[in-house]
Amino acid sequence: MSSKNPRERQMLESIYSMIALVFILVTCVDLCDAATVVDVYRLIQYDISGVPFGSRFATLNHHAGSLHFAPGADLSRTVLVIPVRELNITFVKEYISQRKPLGGLLFLLPQMFNFGNREAATEGKYQIHEKELMKTVLAELERLLIHANIPYPVYFAFEDDDIDAVLADVKRSDVSGQPATATTGGYKLVVSAPEPKKIVSPSITNIQGWLPGLKADGDPNQLPTIAIVASYDTFGTAPALSVGSDSNGSGVVALLELARLFSLLYSNPKTRGRYNLLFGLTSGGPYNYNGTHKWLQSFDQRQRESIDYAICLNSIGSWDNELWIHVSKPPENAFIKQIFEGFSTVAEELGFEVGLKHKKINISNPRVAWEHEQFSKLRVTAATLSELSAAPELLESTGGLSDSRHFINETAIVRSIKLVAESIARHIYGHQGKNIQIFVDNTSLAVNSPYIRSWLDLLSKTPRVAPFLSKNDPFVTALKKALLTADYCELEDHTREVNVHYEVLDGMFTLYDSTKAKLNIYQVASVTFDLLLLLVLGSYLIILFTFLVITTRGLDDLISLFRRPPSRKNVISAMEEFAGYY
Amino acid sequence: MTLFHFFNCAILTFGPHAVYYSATPLSEYDTLGTSVKAALVYLGTALVKLVCLATFLKVSENDSFDPYQELLHALIGFIDVAGLYFALTQLTHRNISQNHKFQAVGLGWAFADSVLHRLAPLWVGSRGLEFTWDYILQGLEANANLVFSISLAALGSLMWLRKNKPKTLIPIIYACAGIVATMPSITSYLRRELGWHFPKVVGFELFTSLMMAFISLQLFSACQRPSS
Repeated sequence: MSSKNPRERQMLESIYSMIALVFILVTCVDLCDAATVVDVYRLIQYDISGVPFGSRFATLNHHAGSLHFAPGADLSRTVLVIPVRELNITFVKEYISQRKPLGGLLFLLPQMFNFGNREAATEGKYQIHEKELMKTVLAELERLLIHANIPYPVYFAFEDDDIDAVLADVKRSDVSGQPATATTGGYKLVVSAPEPKKIVSPSITNIQGWLPGLKADGDPNQLPTIAIVASYDTFGTAPALSVGSDSNGSGVVALLELARLFSLLYSNPKTRGRYNLLFGLTSGGPYNYNGTHKWLQSFDQRQRESIDYAICLNSIGSWDNELWIHVSKPPENAFIKQIFEGFSTVAEELGFEVGLKHKKINISNPRVAWEHEQFSKLRVTAATLSELSAAPELLESTGGLSDSRHFINETAIVRSIKLVAESIARHIYGHQGKNIQIFVDNTSLAVNSPYIRSWLDLLSKTPRVAPFLSKNDPFVTALKKALLTADYCELEDHTREVNVHYEVLDGMFTLYDSTKAKLNIYQVASVTFDLLLLLVLGSYLIILFTFLVITTRGLDDLISLFRRPPSRKNVISAMEEFAGYY
Repeated sequence: MTLFHFFNCAILTFGPHAVYYSATPLSEYDTLGTSVKAALVYLGTALVKLVCLATFLKVSENDSFDPYQELLHALIGFIDVAGLYFALTQLTHRNISQNHKFQAVGLGWAFADSVLHRLAPLWVGSRGLEFTWDYILQGLEANANLVFSISLAALGSLMWLRKNKPKTLIPIIYACAGIVATMPSITSYLRRELGWHFPKVVGFELFTSLMMAFISLQLFSACQRPSS
């Protein structure tokens, strides 16, 4: 029985050592969840005449860090995860302008801006002033990022529970002072995206609709034309998120509604005016209205001369009391005066103001701030109706992240449509100065709010950066079909035409692909953990070995494993001594 | 450093087998052949079990505990016992004592089990970037399984190879053998019905394996006494 007690003791010992092993391992690293996968959207990467802008890289494979890092820490192998809500714009500005080394940036946007997620996008969790604050912060961030050349990947993601938990964990470890490097565990953010390539020959698609007017019998002259134009594409910080609800979704919606109303009017020869109507949905807006330029060049001289005037719509979705008409011909010009007076009379009747702004065009300057300037360069009278009072800079107000559905006022769009419709109708039918309302509410010619709302919803969900819209994009087809509105009876001699022109964007702007990716978040164990585990396992196996040797062969055997074999001399002398006894 | 993690888990899963072989007198008496034969018998048993499972068991849609299915599972588990019987009694071994025979057979059995069930998941899973505790727990489970196999082999050799056993101990021997043989069913019951998580299940397995080892050791030495 005496051999049992050491056996029992050994068994208890091994139990204790096993329990101790489990405790050691548990205290090292927290019990973790499985890897998370998040959709992320890359910052735009583009060149203007060869000068690089935006984020130049797409692949990411670094540890996550938060803003609570220790000052002076080396962040060249860290990705900073910054929720936009806690954004300190001066910090980011400093980092980017001083070109400090960083592994990457991940901005977390509130779910409010997530147009893909219906429930989150419509919840009214935020106060109005919070939304406005977020909008200004985002706008400033966008301006900073678009005009900077950033040598590391920058991604945008939407906040959700998984990523919030990861960020909270990272913040906690940062605050406790352990730097997130390869030896102390933490989270690793991995995006495996292909090398971004230039988009060769980006196509821009212009869609035009033509409503012919009533030609009097025997009149050989061509009817004059009035053009209504809006550019439908956007440019923003994250091309996969640039839905541009206001710039220029509101303009597109207004144009479609005007097309519908006028085609209703023109369907009956008795109400058809003696003007042709030309509707143009142009692309290439942010790139100095390149598409509009090419579209106009595709007309021949006679067609262009027949255009009486053109109204360009740009951002008419979030104004309260005042709209602006921007012109490039001097305001003293009689025709401009006539047009402006027509608009302001109607505006007065509708209860708001319209102002006139004049900006001279400089033919040698490639910068085209308003769409009407492209018309003016080809000597067509044109004006832009917009809520913006000053001309936007290059790549500003082109539908970025901050331009979301929440900031649009539908009644503003309705009022703008009424303004344009009535003014043009008065010009066509010669009702200048008379107080005759054509598009009155509750009639068949009323402005259709559900139509506007459904188009606005669609536009607020479709990112429309031109080089990423292929020729056969379903959205472009939808726009074309919308211009072919069919909610009235067709007549044989009534030929409506909708044409689609494909052009190639001029070489000054080059965009790069790779706009969307999937981010994998791994919780990794540190090297020290692996080493510690190795140590523990090694000692466990050694203990197991000694235990088994002792229990099965006896303690002497164990000791004999370590002792040197006795020297031959001793053995032989011992044997001789033994033999000597016999 | 994930290959490192694979290496760690591999030595946790397979190390004890090697240590057991080298530490005990098994290495002195060169019983490797017995262990290899036992491993091959396990392979054959596993194939037979697979065929039976595929033939008789229905695939359940939800993860609930169906008593009838589990009973069938347990019955098929007894094929394991049959295999062990075959390995212990039918194979011709070199002239090694009873003591070492059951240990060698149990070792070979457990090693084959670990390799078949745990090597592939280990190789595929633990080399990834994401860290989980699963593979360490799997290694601990392999340890518990080693102890279980050796206990089962000990009880098996008592049942089938030893002719003179004290009468009172026979039912205890059979009861313990029954418990060890139905261990897989018990653990799956715990996992599904009671909703125990993996760490808890592994802890339970380790604990019961040590208990069973202790009990079978007592039984073995109790049966050894009359003949010594």
